[in-house]
This record gives sequence, structure tokens and C-alpha cells, in this order.
Amino acid sequence: MITFELDALIVEEASRGSALADRLVGAFGASVPVSYVSDAREATRAKLGADPLGTGKRRLVVKQRRAPFLMSCPASSAKFACCGYLVLILASNCPMDCSYCFLQEHVANNPAFQIYSNFCDSFEEMEQLARSAPGRHFRVGTGELADSLALDSVTKLSVDLIEFVRAREHLTLEFKTKTDEIENLLELDPRGRVIVSWTLSPDAVWKSSEHRTASPSARIAAARAVLDGGYRVGFHFDPMIAYEGAEGDYLQLVDQLLSAIPARCISFLSMGALRMTPELRSAARRRFPHDPMLLGEEVLSSDGRLRAFGALRVRLYRALQERFERAGAPIPAYLCMESRAVHERVFGLAPANPATIGERLALG
Amino acid sequence: MNDLDAEIRDLARRRRLPPAYLARWLDLDQSGRSALLELARALKFRTGQLVAALDLLDEISVREQTSAAQILARPPLRRLVTGGGSGPERAHAVLDQLRAIRFPRLHETAGRLEAAIAALRLPRGIRVLLPRELASDVLTIQLAASAPGELDQLLDALLEKRGEFARILAMMGGDDNV
Repeated sequence: MITFELDALIVEEASRGSALADRLVGAFGASVPVSYVSDAREATRAKLGADPLGTGKRRLVVKQRRAPFLMSCPASSAKFACCGYLVLILASNCPMDCSYCFLQEHVANNPAFQIYSNFCDSFEEMEQLARSAPGRHFRVGTGELADSLALDSVTKLSVDLIEFVRAREHLTLEFKTKTDEIENLLELDPRGRVIVSWTLSPDAVWKSSEHRTASPSARIAAARAVLDGGYRVGFHFDPMIAYEGAEGDYLQLVDQLLSAIPARCISFLSMGALRMTPELRSAARRRFPHDPMLLGEEVLSSDGRLRAFGALRVRLYRALQERFERAGAPIPAYLCMESRAVHERVFGLAPANPATIGERLALG
Repeated sequence: MNDLDAEIRDLARRRRLPPAYLARWLDLDQSGRSALLELARALKFRTGQLVAALDLLDEISVREQTSAAQILARPPLRRLVTGGGSGPERAHAVLDQLRAIRFPRLHETAGRLEAAIAALRLPRGIRVLLPRELASDVLTIQLAASAPGELDQLLDALLEKRGEFARILAMMGGDDNV
């Protein structure tokens, strides 16, 4: 397990005494200065030196979320064949530091690591969602603006969420992570309602770009452990980085995964090429000037993002898809932020609509 | 400040090179600073060309874990620098070569596609355009005809090459088996 270090813990007065604040103060209070502020917005937007995002990662702010918790995946667009993913925003920013991470652009003006003490309000939003579409099933994930499990040993948010969701048949909760922080999960019976998904990258990408994350082997071992604990598991090969030699490395990673987890036990796979706006790439290169993974053969796509040119990334997608197809059991798979045409080239058929895919992934 | 740096600063001032790029140039090791100065002088690089060269050298250095001097000493680049042709032509060719080093598989794939298009031997009046930097999967075919009979001939020629066009589209889509 990776231990994250903080420089400061800032608690908004409205969150003082909340279960979450108490857990965090209890865990960090002896080693980190704790301050209480009436309005945390100043603390989250403070100028934080030459590397605001990096500094922000060490400055944990506990506050109430004023905006809705539940929303459609921000990556969804009519331009892409999407997966119907819904995201639950329980935190913003993340103690890990991947060189390619979109948060470097997304939270540039609001860089502190924020975590929301009123997270239980999200339960009512999920209930409302179910009431609005009786009979439908939804896949809701917490790993969009923060790793789902990075601080879970302290926050124990997974416990509250699992206890809520396991009694709701219309919901499937997804924890998306690059950690092996699964101790809390192993204490609970998710009753089939929880998927834990890991982003998987070859060692070359992990070493070069995924700072303060668990190794790919540790992620796979953690996946095996939660699978044995009654959880469903999924894997995101996203971002896939098409460096020289990538295909062999990714196929080796797939073999490593399949030797630990049989294909029939994998709930889904997603694949997505590294994509960056030019602004994100500039921000990433300022922070990680020596990372070659940020300098692949990306060209500007029609949506304004840099991606590996089409033939290169489709070849990589296909190589993985073919390897999984030979694994003995069909695994539901989708591409993230790719067009219908690319989807057809990779899977040989047109994608279903997002709601149908979302429901299929939720039901497993 | 040594003579080399003074010469670089002087050229940068005359070219109105943005300060961030001058700083990047001066950050190179001595042989890299010197090699780029020699190149810029020999080919009379304009400001935009200097900026592009500095960007490409930086990115290639990180990708290949090598130095600017080692990149600029590669024989294909040296041949372009010392070879025939006008300064602007050679400057253009050097930057193209640097781009080919920076994007090797893109360069190779584009070359294969261009060769496949040339092999179609299409009549004058049909132009086949690859997407810029192969960023999309759209192949553009333009017909230019001034008489109905001419248009018929072009359309017939296109239909005759239908299979080859399908093959080119498959190559653009990452199919290596064609």
C-alpha cells in the first residue's frame, strides 16, 4: 500500500464534526497542521507556488459540495460511441500524480485536493435517478476526478457507499483505481452490486508516468483478491500509449492479467488511447519535461485533442481485442472517446447506444 | 558569457526569437548549442523555423534519450545541410527530416499510403488527398472535369480502382494485412 503525505489539512467549519472530517483529523491530525476556515473556497483556489497542482495534492480540504454529486461522464459526447457511464463526484484531485492526467488542466484553477463531507447527499441523488427511470439499471462510478480508493483506508467512504448500494438492485457502483487499497472492501459483502476496476498499463508506462501508484502486478493481485471477496472486476486499458514496443508490452500485460483472472470473471474491459488537449500537453510537459510517454506520435484530431494517429491506435486496440477474444470467454468491451467508425474497425460491429451499453455493463 | 552564447544571443535578437526559445537554446549542452547555431546560420533559418527546430530537437531528445548534438550529427541531416539546393529548400528539408525522426511511424505509414496512391496511376483530373497527419480516417477524392465525357472517364477510372481504394482505406484504418 502506498502512503501519501500531506502538508496541510483544512476543514471548512460546516464540515467540522462530520464523520469524514473526524476520520481525517483522527488519521492526520497528529502529523499535519489542521486548520478550520469558514469558507474553503479560498483555500482551494489559493495560489500554490510554481506547481499549484503538485502542491494542491498535499493540501487536503474537507468541505461541503454545493453542486450535484451525480452527473453524466464529462467525456461523453455525440461525437463518440459512449458507454453510458454516470459519475459521482466525491472528491476532486488525487494524491497520485500521473504525468498524463487530465486533472492538470481540469482543476488548474482549483487545485487543492478536496473531499466532500456531505457525500451522503449523493445517496438521495442516486435514489432520484432510479425513481426517474423505473426498471433501468445504472453504472455509477466514483473515479472520475479522483482515484476511488487512494485514501480509502482513512476516509472509509467505500464502506458507506457499499452499504448504500448493495441493497439497491438498480445500481451498480464502480470504484476505479490505480491502488491496491482494498482492505475495507474485503470486510464487506457487496452482494454483486460493486465493480472494482483498475487502470492497467505496462511497467514502462507505470515507471515513467504513473507516480505514486501501485505497480501493475500489485493492481492485478488486488483485483484477484476482491474477485475472491465477491466483487466484480473490470479493467481499463486507458490511456493506452502507443510508444515503440507498446504492442508487445500490452499483450504481455494482458497475458499476466488472464493468468491471474480468467476471462469469464472479467465484467468488462475498456480501451482508450492517450488523448490530450494541446493545453493539457503543455501543462503536463511543464511538470514532467523528461517523460517520453507524453511525446508519442499524437496528432490533432477533429475534436481538438491530440491522439496517436488513427492507424497506430487502431492497430493497438485490435491487438488487445484479438488477444482477449482468444481468452475463452467473451468479455464486454468498449472504447472511450472514440468514434463509431473506430469502434466498428476494432470490434467489427456498430456500437449500441450509450444507455444500452451502460445498462449491459451495470447488469454484468 | 562566452563567445558562443553571445553569438546565439545576437542571432536570436536579429531573428526576434521569443525569450523562452532563446532560454531553451542556451539550455542545450555546448555541442548542441553550437550545432544548432551552425545549422541556423548555414540554412538562414527564419524565426518560425528556429522555433520548430528547437521544439523538435527537444521532443526527439526526450523520446530517444539523446542530445541535440547527436541528433543533428545524423548522416541524413548532415547530407541535407551540406548538400545542394537553395538555403530555403534545404531548411525546409531539414525540418521535414526532423519531423520524420520525431514521428517515425507516422512518416512511414504516410509514405506507404502515398506510394499506394501513386501506384493507382490515376488520370489527370483525379486527386486523392490523405488527411493531414493521418489524423482522421477520411480519404478525399477530388474530380476536376470540364465536359460530361471527361467526367464519365474519370468516374470509370475511379470505379475500376475500387478495390485498390478499399485497400488504401483499410491501411488508413490500421490494417497491416493489406
